[in-house]
Amino acid sequence: MTTTARVELSAPPVAPRARRRRGLLGLLAAPTGFLALFFLVPVLMVAAYSVGLLTLLPHDLYLSLQPWRDFFASETHVGLFWKSVRLSVVVSAVSVLLAYPIAYALALVAGRRKYTLLLVILAPFLTSYLLRVLAWRVILGDEGLIITLLRDVGVLGPEGQISWLFYSPFAVYVVLAYVWVPFVALPIFVTLDGMDRDLLEASHDLGATRWTTFLRVTLPLSVPGVVAAFVFVFIPTIGEYVTPLLVGGPNGFFFGNAIQGAILQGFDWQFGAAMAMFLVGTVTVLLVLFGRYLNVRAVAE
Amino acid sequence: MSVPNPDAAISLVDVHKRFGDVRAVDGVTLDVAEGEFLTLLGPSGCGKTTTMRMIAGFEEPDAGRILLRGHDVVGVPPNRREVNMCFQHYALFPHMNVEDNVAYGLKLRKVPKEERRRRVAEMLEVVRLEGFEKRRPGQLSGGQQQRVALARALVNRPAALLLDEPLGALDVKLRKQMQLELKRIQHELRTTFVYVTHDQEEALSMSDRIAVMNRGVIEQLGTPREVYERPATPFVADFVGVLNAIEFRADEVRAGEAVMRLGDGDRIVAPAPDGRIGGAAIVTVRPERIRVHTPDEPVVGDSRVSGTVGQVVYLGTLTQFHVELAGGRRLIAHRLSDERAASILEGDRVVLSWDRDDAAIVRD
Amino acid sequence: MSPAISPGGRRALWVGFWVFVVFLYAPIVVLIVFSFNDRSTVSFPWEGFTLRWYRAFVENPTLLGALRTSAYVALLTGLATTLLAIPAAILLVRRRFAGKGLVTGLLLAPLVIPLIVFGVALLILFKNLEASTGGLVTVSRYTVVVGHTVVALPFAILTIVPRLERIPPSYEEAARDLGADAFTSFRTVTFPLIAPAVVAAFLISVVISFDEIVIASFVAGEDTTFPLYLFSQLRLPQSLPQVIAVAVVVMGVSGAIVVASEVGIRIADRRLEAELGVAAGEVATLTGGTKGAA
Repeated sequence: MTTTARVELSAPPVAPRARRRRGLLGLLAAPTGFLALFFLVPVLMVAAYSVGLLTLLPHDLYLSLQPWRDFFASETHVGLFWKSVRLSVVVSAVSVLLAYPIAYALALVAGRRKYTLLLVILAPFLTSYLLRVLAWRVILGDEGLIITLLRDVGVLGPEGQISWLFYSPFAVYVVLAYVWVPFVALPIFVTLDGMDRDLLEASHDLGATRWTTFLRVTLPLSVPGVVAAFVFVFIPTIGEYVTPLLVGGPNGFFFGNAIQGAILQGFDWQFGAAMAMFLVGTVTVLLVLFGRYLNVRAVAE
Repeated sequence: MSVPNPDAAISLVDVHKRFGDVRAVDGVTLDVAEGEFLTLLGPSGCGKTTTMRMIAGFEEPDAGRILLRGHDVVGVPPNRREVNMCFQHYALFPHMNVEDNVAYGLKLRKVPKEERRRRVAEMLEVVRLEGFEKRRPGQLSGGQQQRVALARALVNRPAALLLDEPLGALDVKLRKQMQLELKRIQHELRTTFVYVTHDQEEALSMSDRIAVMNRGVIEQLGTPREVYERPATPFVADFVGVLNAIEFRADEVRAGEAVMRLGDGDRIVAPAPDGRIGGAAIVTVRPERIRVHTPDEPVVGDSRVSGTVGQVVYLGTLTQFHVELAGGRRLIAHRLSDERAASILEGDRVVLSWDRDDAAIVRD
Repeated sequence: MSPAISPGGRRALWVGFWVFVVFLYAPIVVLIVFSFNDRSTVSFPWEGFTLRWYRAFVENPTLLGALRTSAYVALLTGLATTLLAIPAAILLVRRRFAGKGLVTGLLLAPLVIPLIVFGVALLILFKNLEASTGGLVTVSRYTVVVGHTVVALPFAILTIVPRLERIPPSYEEAARDLGADAFTSFRTVTFPLIAPAVVAAFLISVVISFDEIVIASFVAGEDTTFPLYLFSQLRLPQSLPQVIAVAVVVMGVSGAIVVASEVGIRIADRRLEAELGVAAGEVATLTGGTKGAA
């Protein structure tokens, strides 16, 4: 048989373990190397930069905790941080409240159509973020649909305005909730969908009303999804500055705007870096507290 | 250490493999002859699949040597080993049709197109799948998929074909049929087969030799008859389905045999070629070797014990008698389901007998 | 009778559901409708149908330039992300090694960092590189590609992973057994089977990049991506109508891409199930079963 020759002629075999390790390295090198270089290193550089281990601009302080001291001493900036926290908490909570019944309907009531309907809900989330914000400018704006409609109807005078409607924190809340609510439905849907339906039957058989079943069985079981949804809205909204810039007006200035301002306008980079690291710390605390509820994969699918 | 036979298709020399703390394979030495059908038989976790995967190159031994036709292949990746494998669930490439599946290995080996086509056609004929070339695996039945898997491996003319529980996913009837098919194909092509299974019946009916494995070692290596009739260890006896195992202590050892006396003239005689019976031992005897006599029939045979019929199970051609002996022992005997067998009822007194050489002494 | 909902509750829930859908889509519909309104401010009353805003944007070189930049950035991002996501997914699904938990954490970490922090971080990194290479590296569309690739990578990985998980490793082993080296086995067996997910991962990365503004605003330098252009125009009411016209087009295209890839991957999954055929039910046992020391 001719095949015998293959073994004889082949190069001396590489030790299997070395071969396997080489294969592993081949797979590992590019993605982890890339993320180490362009994700891990930069974030560590922000940390280093915020305490002057690293300097860039002429007026940067060398080895100094001054940026951090400045931040903690500034009532304005700490205040903005809490304002952002409040925004994120409220937006996350409102989104969860709105999305929960939707996810419930899809997972437990919709039957075979559920994936199609889920896509209907998710599609807007997948289209341009900026454009969805833009749509709300058209609706809420000073010359927008609501105002012009109210003027035409005569509720407002020809030059009438509603000051809280636009360029206001209210607008920021509305727009962010609108932007994130489809995304919130997803993790809740996944946990409810993965729930053992027999539990509902069992609870029902044991004489529980639907409401009791919901409170005692469904709701507790969906807690991981709810927490995941909450965290996954909290993280991107806590540093939001684009939406506030577009619809927030003078009072719609948040922590993200402070960071962005310090870096892109104020050229006080070290101060900006300190605030950015403070956000990293906040997120880390959040992840440590709730990390075990997060099934990242459920969200991304 | 034993020297591998240079003429063997596959030789394993003192092969070891552990996964973490588990010794999956713990010193296996084995020669598989060219053209042999050898079965690795054992329960799940006995190391049979790991042994096979080491031959194929998917696992590397921690210690020991593996030789294919005399060449040490430890460290050679699977694609450069001249063995091919039939996977448990066939692993047919779902995106390729039958022809492309079978031609896969030949293409990689740069076999010219014409020869490739000819060999694929030949092999599909051997496995009786002519006309299925353009079907996708998903459009085939389990049995047909099995045949494609065989063709895909065999078309490369491997030094040995490794089969990992290939019939496990088929229903009983199809499995019987495929057993015969496999045997026929092996006969036709004279390829060395190494077959892994936990099904003792499958092993007994197909193999030239069986290696019974347990906890990473080969407990017995022998022909189906040897394994079935002369199990080397209690484990083998139990696993290949020996129903009768009686604790044995020798009252008398004489030329080539040991005798245990049970009173009332009852006795069990077993061969003892080395003349020594030490420590605990059991005697095994296969149910179909035991004769069932009604008390009025003359008893022939070296061993004879009397008892009461407990349960009678009609098995078709055979009738199975569960016989309670004195001292709580129990033996199972098979007898042709004839008129006389039908007359033996539960509660009847019977005498069981068998020849000395139908019994075997198994030591721990 | 369903224990999940009473008949009345069901009706209420569905009414709620469709109200929700209207809430989600109404602003988008508004945008579409007003992109055809013949009025120089985006507001009532309706003054007739026009295509002039579409014409205006097609004739606007700055806008077209920004679109081109974004398309370029998005395609590069899609390519880079896909090339990195494939080995990463194989790593996560097929390999067991010390420190895998850490590697998994690193690969998915970009999901949990606020973008503004990452934008600042990239800016500081590239400014440092600029300083230390004497201006060889400088912020531009290419640094945006780097940032977008980081952001899109976890999404791409998590698109490929589930598909790869459904492909029994025994296919790759069979290929190896039949003479394929590791790469050939990937090219001829694994890749064709995960291809739909790879395409989806590419498209998702493209859409993420095309829409991304935070990273771009920090590291785009002199280059202007479409979101950056859009952002700069949003504050000028007079350019709003034509911006909305582009918006509608972009939204339609990216929406179509994403929905198509979602639907596509679902169809491909179903086809895979069918191709696995008789053994379909056993895929799970197969995946887990080959690892043991049977």
